[in-house]
Amino acid sequence: MSDAVRHQEPAAHERDGSSGWMLSRVQDWSRENSLWPVTFGLACCAIEMMATAAGRFDLARFGSELFRASPRQADLMIVSGRVSLKMAPVVREIHAQMPDPKWVIAMGDCAACGGIFNNYAVVQGVDRIVPVDVYVPGCPPRPEALIDAILKLQQRIGRRGGA
Amino acid sequence: MPADPAATRVTAVLDGTHAAGTGGRLKINMGPQHPSTHGVLRLELELDGELVVSCRPIIGYLHTGIEKSMEARSWLHAIAMTDRLDYLNPLGNNLAFALAVERLFGCAVPERATVARVLLAELTRINSHLVWVGTNAMDVGALSVFLYAFRERELLLDLFEEMSGARMMTSFIRPGGLAADFPDGWFDRCRAVVDSLPARVDEYEALLTDNPLFKERMIGIGRLAQADAVRLGCSGPLLRASGVAHDLRKAHPYCGYEQYDFDVCTAIEGDCYARYRVRIAELRQSIDLCQQALDRMPDGPVRTADRKVMPPLRAEFQQSMEALIHHFKHYTEGLRPPAGDAYVPVESPRGELGFHVKSDGSGRPVRIRERAPSFANLQALPLLARGMLVADLVAIISTVDPVLGEVDR
Amino acid sequence: MTALADDVMRDLPGVAVTADRDGIARLSVDRARWRELARWAQARGFERFLDLLAIDDPTVADRFELLLLVYSMTERCWLRLCTRTDAHVASLTDVYEAADWYEREVFDLFGVRFDGHPNLVRILLPDDYPSHPLRRDHPLGNEPVDFTVTREERDA
Repeated sequence: MSDAVRHQEPAAHERDGSSGWMLSRVQDWSRENSLWPVTFGLACCAIEMMATAAGRFDLARFGSELFRASPRQADLMIVSGRVSLKMAPVVREIHAQMPDPKWVIAMGDCAACGGIFNNYAVVQGVDRIVPVDVYVPGCPPRPEALIDAILKLQQRIGRRGGA
Repeated sequence: MPADPAATRVTAVLDGTHAAGTGGRLKINMGPQHPSTHGVLRLELELDGELVVSCRPIIGYLHTGIEKSMEARSWLHAIAMTDRLDYLNPLGNNLAFALAVERLFGCAVPERATVARVLLAELTRINSHLVWVGTNAMDVGALSVFLYAFRERELLLDLFEEMSGARMMTSFIRPGGLAADFPDGWFDRCRAVVDSLPARVDEYEALLTDNPLFKERMIGIGRLAQADAVRLGCSGPLLRASGVAHDLRKAHPYCGYEQYDFDVCTAIEGDCYARYRVRIAELRQSIDLCQQALDRMPDGPVRTADRKVMPPLRAEFQQSMEALIHHFKHYTEGLRPPAGDAYVPVESPRGELGFHVKSDGSGRPVRIRERAPSFANLQALPLLARGMLVADLVAIISTVDPVLGEVDR
Repeated sequence: MTALADDVMRDLPGVAVTADRDGIARLSVDRARWRELARWAQARGFERFLDLLAIDDPTVADRFELLLLVYSMTERCWLRLCTRTDAHVASLTDVYEAADWYEREVFDLFGVRFDGHPNLVRILLPDDYPSHPLRRDHPLGNEPVDFTVTREERDA
């Protein structure tokens, strides 16, 4: 599981040198305000994720201007939907293909804990495969809930350098 | 005039007389993570240059074991799971399930609930086709239509949220009627939204229908012959765009559809553009059906009086001990349909959607199986894709409109 | 319905015509006559293949009931074909091409083998999945969920 441990940089206050600290702050600020998700819609939550990106809720105003199709160009994976047995290795691989620093939001009950599908076919929470930063409950969560998750993630990145 | 080499090659691929060129064939994987596969669909493509020689869909990336979960619980729990199958048509799934269970019970549903079911089913069809128009346009490059379609969708989701508490997975149509009655003023707000929609559909058509770029990407692409469509069990707009005027709302009416005034939308070319035109026509027709349903909405109860199917209202507890007992048994033991098999399909935005339910008289379902229209429609994809360019595949998948939730269940 | 019953009596001796609760006619045969029945239905006008499903009853010897749902565009009606098997049955892919994925699904989830299927591999579950989950005697595969019973227990 070694590549599941994210190789993040130390938090801003842990870096030495005042100029280094300023640079780190700028880095954190730019990272938190330009979180580009990879298009990883799995099931019903993906439709609400699309609604979050659409006109009324407009995720772009928080920095997520584009959903990148290639994981190599994205830094946020919003796992929106149930993760089946066949899909689990794919989730892992897409996550591994994302360059550091990267974050994961488990959107919806199925991604957070398996949801209402406690059975042979669904992985009971995507945190069994990839490290998750924010869990968003709901079936599906409202777009405002997803925006709240992204804002919390941004605060976290800004505060602790993403650790 | 020399023959067009590209057309000759396409013909050769379709005939099977094509031999691999000097460069050989390329095996490429598309999906399951892909922006344009409409879910977690994986395609194994064999290409000769840009030409698709063969296309093999691989599904199962969203297999949720819903059918097994429904067997393990009760009939009531199964209702909530039906929303999540075709997640763009949750009320339609509820309706198909409710009709099948009601057929087992042999119970009647009050008129208000029946008309409301038509209204909700058509609103959900509008919702689904709005998502389709938005994502289809986005797939072929018209990104702004996506934003407009989702703007309208938000108005409908607001209505659903006001009525049931949830935007998408409402579980509002249940065996015996509806979960609850509508809030005051809901019908007026619904009418205001529905009356505003035709102008919006005009906007989408203004952007797409005569747009030469859109037509270039959709006309002549992914033709499905009529005989193939029937033989393979295709249904919905995929079937109707190939010239088959088969719509379950006309052929086998349910919920009183025979009393409504509407046509079956068809086209004859069977290509992507025909499927687009059929869906736009259905969108307009659903708006009209909603207006008709709103016009004829009667007063009355929304739940059947049969206490074995629907629990009594809480207000009745004061007068009747029996009502209290029925309520208790309904929510602890669940429904107990009589033994038998029933399959009552509805016309979902994707085609013939039905639940085959089998009961043995106990409270546990023996088998609940969904006949998913997208499963059969997707089987036709290799036929549609052969001889097409890779770039056209996106348009083809989009117009087949699969929802992987119901394909994989 | 009566025209169908007459045709069945004439062409398929020994096959009973019943109706299910939904009004759809059901023809039940032995496993050995499954292909014959399907060919007859297709020739009779039920050319549209709609669904193939299995129902498991481990208490009887032939535990799997296979139900084939076909439709006639000319008569506008459904027909249900039914057989029972304990392990395998003939594949219908040369009669109804659309049965391909449906038979694979029944194989995947129930373990029924279809003799003559061109590509009988799993379709919904991973290729190396060890069992057939929709059998009635197969466990659901759920995990126990830890609930906190009381605050005292939780905080203790």
